[in-house]
Amino acid sequence: MASVIGAAARSTRPRISALHGLVAGAALLLALWPLVFGNKFLLALATLVALYAIGAASLHLIIRTGHVSFAHAGFMGVAGYVAVLSQMRLGLPFAAALPLGCLAAATVALAIGPLILRVTGKYFVLVTFLFGEILRLVFTEWTAVTGGSNGIFDVPPPAPVFATPLGFYYLALGAAVLCVGIVARILGSEIGRTIDALREAERLAECSGVPVIRWKVAVFVVACALAGVQGVLQAHYLRLIDPTTFSIVESLNLVVMNVIGGMQRLAGALIGALFLTALPELLRGYVEMQRVFFGIILIIVMAALPGGIIEIGARLRALGKAR
Amino acid sequence: MSRLLETSGLSRSFGGLRAVAGLSFAVAEGEILGLIGPNGAGKTTAINLLSGVIKPNAGRVVFAGEEVTGLPPHHLARKGLVRTFQSTVVYGHRTVRENALRGAFLGLYPGVVPAFLGTLRARARRRETEDRIAELLAWFGLDHLGEAIAGSLPYGRQKSLGMVIALAARPRLLMLDEPVAGLAAEEADQVLETIRRIRQRGVTLIVVDHNMRFISGLCDRLVVLHHGQELAQGTPQQVLADSAVIAAYLGRGHGAA
Amino acid sequence: MFTPTLLAQVVVNGLSLGAIYVLVALGFTLLFGIMRVVNFAHGAFAVLGGYALYYLYGQYRLPYILAVPLSALLVAVISLLLERCVFRWFYQKMFQSMIGLLGLNMALVFGSVIIWDTYERAIPPAFNGMLQLGGVILPLDRLMVVAIAAAILALFWLFMSRSRWGLAMRAAAQDVEIAEAQGIDTLSTYRLAFFIAIFMTALAGGLYAQIYALSPFMGDRPLVVAFIAVILGGMGSIPGAALGGLILGFTESFLSTFYGATLSAFVSFGVVILLLIFRPWGLLGTPE
Repeated sequence: MASVIGAAARSTRPRISALHGLVAGAALLLALWPLVFGNKFLLALATLVALYAIGAASLHLIIRTGHVSFAHAGFMGVAGYVAVLSQMRLGLPFAAALPLGCLAAATVALAIGPLILRVTGKYFVLVTFLFGEILRLVFTEWTAVTGGSNGIFDVPPPAPVFATPLGFYYLALGAAVLCVGIVARILGSEIGRTIDALREAERLAECSGVPVIRWKVAVFVVACALAGVQGVLQAHYLRLIDPTTFSIVESLNLVVMNVIGGMQRLAGALIGALFLTALPELLRGYVEMQRVFFGIILIIVMAALPGGIIEIGARLRALGKAR
Repeated sequence: MSRLLETSGLSRSFGGLRAVAGLSFAVAEGEILGLIGPNGAGKTTAINLLSGVIKPNAGRVVFAGEEVTGLPPHHLARKGLVRTFQSTVVYGHRTVRENALRGAFLGLYPGVVPAFLGTLRARARRRETEDRIAELLAWFGLDHLGEAIAGSLPYGRQKSLGMVIALAARPRLLMLDEPVAGLAAEEADQVLETIRRIRQRGVTLIVVDHNMRFISGLCDRLVVLHHGQELAQGTPQQVLADSAVIAAYLGRGHGAA
Repeated sequence: MFTPTLLAQVVVNGLSLGAIYVLVALGFTLLFGIMRVVNFAHGAFAVLGGYALYYLYGQYRLPYILAVPLSALLVAVISLLLERCVFRWFYQKMFQSMIGLLGLNMALVFGSVIIWDTYERAIPPAFNGMLQLGGVILPLDRLMVVAIAAAILALFWLFMSRSRWGLAMRAAAQDVEIAEAQGIDTLSTYRLAFFIAIFMTALAGGLYAQIYALSPFMGDRPLVVAFIAVILGGMGSIPGAALGGLILGFTESFLSTFYGATLSAFVSFGVVILLLIFRPWGLLGTPE
């Protein structure tokens, strides 16, 4: 009897392998995307989706510890400014500036993480909301360094290869696959099990020997560093870095991606990134109408589907089973 | 017998109210110590102090010859001091097996890099832990419920699972917070038997309860708390014969307990 | 630097700003304290109040003293529709309300852009004159703002402490289940609280728009202010929100006059973050 249980326990869960297949399919589609759709607009769209997938997935990592950060775009900004400035002022190559930017975001996260991660739930939302505002104020007011609200123009391309839209698309896609892969691997490993444990029952996890605060800070730091990848790449993609790209609105956007897609699964964050990046771009001619429409969708999703879009699948499956 | 845990002058007050004052006792290796007192006597505060959930205002705790006063729970768990919770605290949305695995964090978690890479060592640890967990679950009669969702189990089973989670951390000293509260008589007897078997495996125990009948049959020694202070200390026979205990505690609550 | 006139103006500015902030924060804290709703659309209601005042006073030339409460009333009545269609879904669901009402904010703000475009409008001041008291010169319109806000706050206080409905609202804020067991009709209590909260916010929005300038994006500042004031005082605490609003108004008036707006913003954000970390229940709230 015991051996039967042991064997069953050791076999991997089938859902994960199905998910792997899905992910591989999506990656293949994304890699071939420019070849199938030569359209410039669709290529730009895919680039943006890839960039936002990084931000949304890294925020998902924080959300899994039970904290919803409303300052995520601020950390992107820290990385973006540091990387761009170190290239344009200090002449560092892109390959050094990118990790330097991420390191800067991680350092800020490490400095404030131990303080703010003691605060739970709604208070954490408020603290990060205000911290995001502080970061934006720094970007706007430290004119001598950041160029103030005008920002910094003519950010050079990362390398000649990536100067074309197609080249940059593959750079963004590569970065997204790497970053999302790291997040997926973290969540799929023993680290992910412990993260889920400390979210679900913090005190119990701590009594089982998990240093809860240290874990939360570590996850926060890693997630902010990953978000930095989006911040740096986005500055190069837009050829511009300014405070509006890292404002509270952008942070909210990332939160909304996670919420709309479904907060408790990484796939939810990715679906949200796809949905919330693609739709506005497709409705570009009607910016205001589109925002109104979006707002209404948010209300409906939150009222009717608090688990996010990913829950539709689960509900359909439940319906199927019920029959 | 060597002393595994020793406290001296342990005190904690909340906003002027002294919940525990000057608590001093020792637990010998392999012993079952009962911490007993009526509701509001400071039992919960005492176990929270010993497990690091709250910090004392004064006094010392020494565990295995090492001062551990004021250390956080995860630190104490690493040293082998583990507790259960009075209300059933489990990971309600997860399977029984997953609950047990999470309790085994200390043995299971191989460190960041091996965990991230899924190295051979990490996998070996996981297999070892899974075997150990399967054995623990069987021991508590939960083996056939391994894939059941913990929150859907009946109350008594959830309490057992709470003990499995604590034991999965391989404690040297296990503190049980009201292990039989809310259980039917035969279930309580089973728990009694289980606690004795835990001791046979070389685990020292502190059992917190207000049920005198239950605890005096189980424990080697008792510490009686009253209004946050120690009222008496000794073997169950000594304590039961103590006039202060009879006056303050048994005089009122004996019939109910 | 510290001339009596400047100092008096700093005080009056602080009072008028503080009074507006108190109104906004009270609305926010009512919604949070009673319905557990985090109203991210709070700024949008202030914007609507601004446009209502713009039409009633600026365009249709109603007497000022009538236009101010009437415009707030108008917004509050129309908003009852939103209570029915949107807010009711989110009562007692803190997290969902945050995101859902963020959506409402987006819809309202960009709806306003469609209707009114993005350019800034001005609401004409009620009084242009200055009041001379001894050696001190004070702007009359600011004093008017203080007077109106004080009157509304006094009415609010009377309502909350004396009327049966006010007591019901306070009971619901303490514990919904007990309130229901005592026979309080929660749904109509909620509707009333919503109405009052929106009335105060819209009124504050009108006054705010008159002092600064009116545009669909004007609401961001009142929203942040409501947040900060409510955190300062303690989430859900009514006296706390009042205290928080006043402190914030005075700090801003003082710091921005003498040290500039940037420093003022840094200081208020920084203080609030520290407060949240070390005393998350605020100055007057109670720990959970």
